[in-house]
Amino acid sequence: MTQSQFLSSDTQWPRWEVFKQDAPNRPHQAVGSVHAGDPPHALVTARNVFVRRPAAVSLWCVREDDILTATPEELATHPALLDSPGEAGTYHVGVKRTNKRSMTFVDLSGTVTADGPGDALRQAQSLHPDVLAWMVFPESAVVRTDEDPGTVESWFAPAKDKTYKQQQHYGVIGRHVGELKRAGLMPGRAASEEGA
Amino acid sequence: MTHPTPAQTGITPGETAEQHAHFEARIARGEKIEAGDWMPAEYRRQLIRMISQHAHSEVVGMLPEGEWITRAPSLKRKTILMAKVQDEAGHGQYLYHAAETLGATREDMLQALLSGKAKYSSIFNYPTHTWADVGMIGWLVDGAAIKNQTMLAGCSYGPYSRAMVRICSEETFHHKQGKEMIVAYAQGTPEQRAMAQDALNRWWWPAMMMLGPHDADSPNSGVLTRWGIKLKSNDEVRQEFINEHVPELLEAGLTIPDPDLHQDEQGNWRHGPIHWDEFWAVIRGEQGLNKERLGARQHAHDDGAWVRDALQAYTDRQRAVAAD
Amino acid sequence: MTTTPTTHLTDTQTQALLLKLTVLADDEIILAHRDGEWTGHAPILEEDIALANIAQDELGHAGLYLSLAQTLGGSDPDRVAFWRGPDDYRNTRLVELPKGDWAFTMVRQFLYDTAEALWLEAATRSTYAPLAEIAAKAVREEKFHVQHTALWVERLALGTPESERRTQAALTELWPHAAQLFQPVEGEAELTAAGILPDLNAVHARWTDLVTRHLVDKCGLTLPDAPTTQPGRDTHTHHLAPLLEEMQSVARQHPDAEVW
Repeated sequence: MTQSQFLSSDTQWPRWEVFKQDAPNRPHQAVGSVHAGDPPHALVTARNVFVRRPAAVSLWCVREDDILTATPEELATHPALLDSPGEAGTYHVGVKRTNKRSMTFVDLSGTVTADGPGDALRQAQSLHPDVLAWMVFPESAVVRTDEDPGTVESWFAPAKDKTYKQQQHYGVIGRHVGELKRAGLMPGRAASEEGA
Repeated sequence: MTHPTPAQTGITPGETAEQHAHFEARIARGEKIEAGDWMPAEYRRQLIRMISQHAHSEVVGMLPEGEWITRAPSLKRKTILMAKVQDEAGHGQYLYHAAETLGATREDMLQALLSGKAKYSSIFNYPTHTWADVGMIGWLVDGAAIKNQTMLAGCSYGPYSRAMVRICSEETFHHKQGKEMIVAYAQGTPEQRAMAQDALNRWWWPAMMMLGPHDADSPNSGVLTRWGIKLKSNDEVRQEFINEHVPELLEAGLTIPDPDLHQDEQGNWRHGPIHWDEFWAVIRGEQGLNKERLGARQHAHDDGAWVRDALQAYTDRQRAVAAD
Repeated sequence: MTTTPTTHLTDTQTQALLLKLTVLADDEIILAHRDGEWTGHAPILEEDIALANIAQDELGHAGLYLSLAQTLGGSDPDRVAFWRGPDDYRNTRLVELPKGDWAFTMVRQFLYDTAEALWLEAATRSTYAPLAEIAAKAVREEKFHVQHTALWVERLALGTPESERRTQAALTELWPHAAQLFQPVEGEAELTAAGILPDLNAVHARWTDLVTRHLVDKCGLTLPDAPTTQPGRDTHTHHLAPLLEEMQSVARQHPDAEVW
């Protein structure tokens, strides 16, 4: 037990939303978040957490406090979100388009020049009226990995060689499921699913 | 006469029937609920309970297998095991994130775990006796977990569903590496075969039980089903698990420790009676390694306090310098 | 030093290179083992993930070295890792010391990663293509390790008085052992002359410069005096034997096992 425990409570560092780009010319996508004290810490942590497997070529981190998110329902009940004040400048716009199963939230789809986050949200809404959620944040709030080949090679390329983490690496073990089913050893569908 | 509680009805005082009807219609249409959307307080409470419990299970789940990283018998197995236990930390991280979107904080969730207030899957309170346990955990425990997680990947809360989709895509590797080990050991030396069978004897019933009590005895299922959090019942998921694993275990030449196990006319594998007393005793922490597991987490937490303080102090200093 | 491609190794060169590859692999195996001890016990969940990454990378490098050694007549990598005792291991004492606290682990990893990154970077120019290829692969990962561990050492050294004290204590204990990383193996001079291996003295000088700039100039730590002479890699602390006993316990319980 350390003395520090008695001097201060534990800390919870700011949350940073993490955006991962899988390949050049693909959008950055919101994959989750990390807690970190400062920008380099956020980026290194994001790499450790979200690049255990391929594919990635770039990571962005944005502090949660700098992000404005809204769903259509939220805008209907809290129209004041469109007046959220903040700095003027370039804003990134992210949108969520589908309810299909997905491991990412919004895709970043471009930028707008806005008076503040509320204005950026208003523009996002008129650019993409039929989506399921909007996200905006100022360009000035983004911290990102370098795009030089050295960074891409050391931060992102090695995950491709770690094939033992990928299920395809193991192939079919024992008899194929289809064979077991044909042999009557495995029902085609669980009883619970029949008639469902 | 006592009034039904929010846990039973899902309705918390102050919420209207219209709000609930609107909310349930959205779920019925297959929409995902996002963090900023209106949701019943009970939906939020149940999700925080489930997601944090799930996150804690991943974090405590690092321990039983983690003990074997230092003893893995080949460079390949050591690397794979490290990747697997690392994934469990990663899955805990994704899940804490999902719970944080509902307003829970990592600190509060950790405190709830360490104080014993929050639960985690009792499967991780069983000891690991031999190296083959690592393979059997991958095959059976992760196999059962995947069944549950695949269901949860379709749940109504967006952030939880997305975490689950990501977790499922990674977890399949856990299942396969375990199966690969056990199938190989079942055909290996007599000692390896014995080790694999012994592991099956000890893990079969706990894996069956980890999918939860029979539907009739499952206290939280009502509202969870209505709100699209739980899409299948415990017994349905268990049946899927058995149907998939029994033929493969038999194929590997192993004996399943259930004399009543048989196939019914539909081809479903039917299991014998489950000894739930043991399950509830482990849940209550009376059996198994509950104290040791939480002790290890508490120790890591206490030992890490000065590290977290240092990071905070560094951050504060950087901020002060920047403000000058 | 020559830059002509080496297509044929003499017997003496082969023996020296085999030894060097084993020495490199031993460091990786033992350090990965110590790092692996943190999995499930790190101060922050995200660092459980980070250290497991580093450990997998190091173990991967050991596999690369030992596979190359195998093509030169060395034994099966698992045989080398799991069936040699402490008398035959040639790792540095730096990597075998118990994992200690988080400062100890991060400072050790920083000293090791910087040395490995610089050595590998030089080895990418090896005249012996198989080694150059391995180095090109491994150096990418080491560059990221250096960023991670440099970041942590800085935050611990410039954090609280307690973290500063712990970080300095770790450096004071580890520094003399780090010099062992730059001890040549028998026959290494000939391999260096042929351009097969990097010039260890040059790597050492670059390393001293790099770590001094970070540890002293940036982090405000004090470098202790290193003893002028170091025992060889065949001299171990009493910590290695129990480490290997644990690491090799399962493999050695099953001497007949052909598959793991």
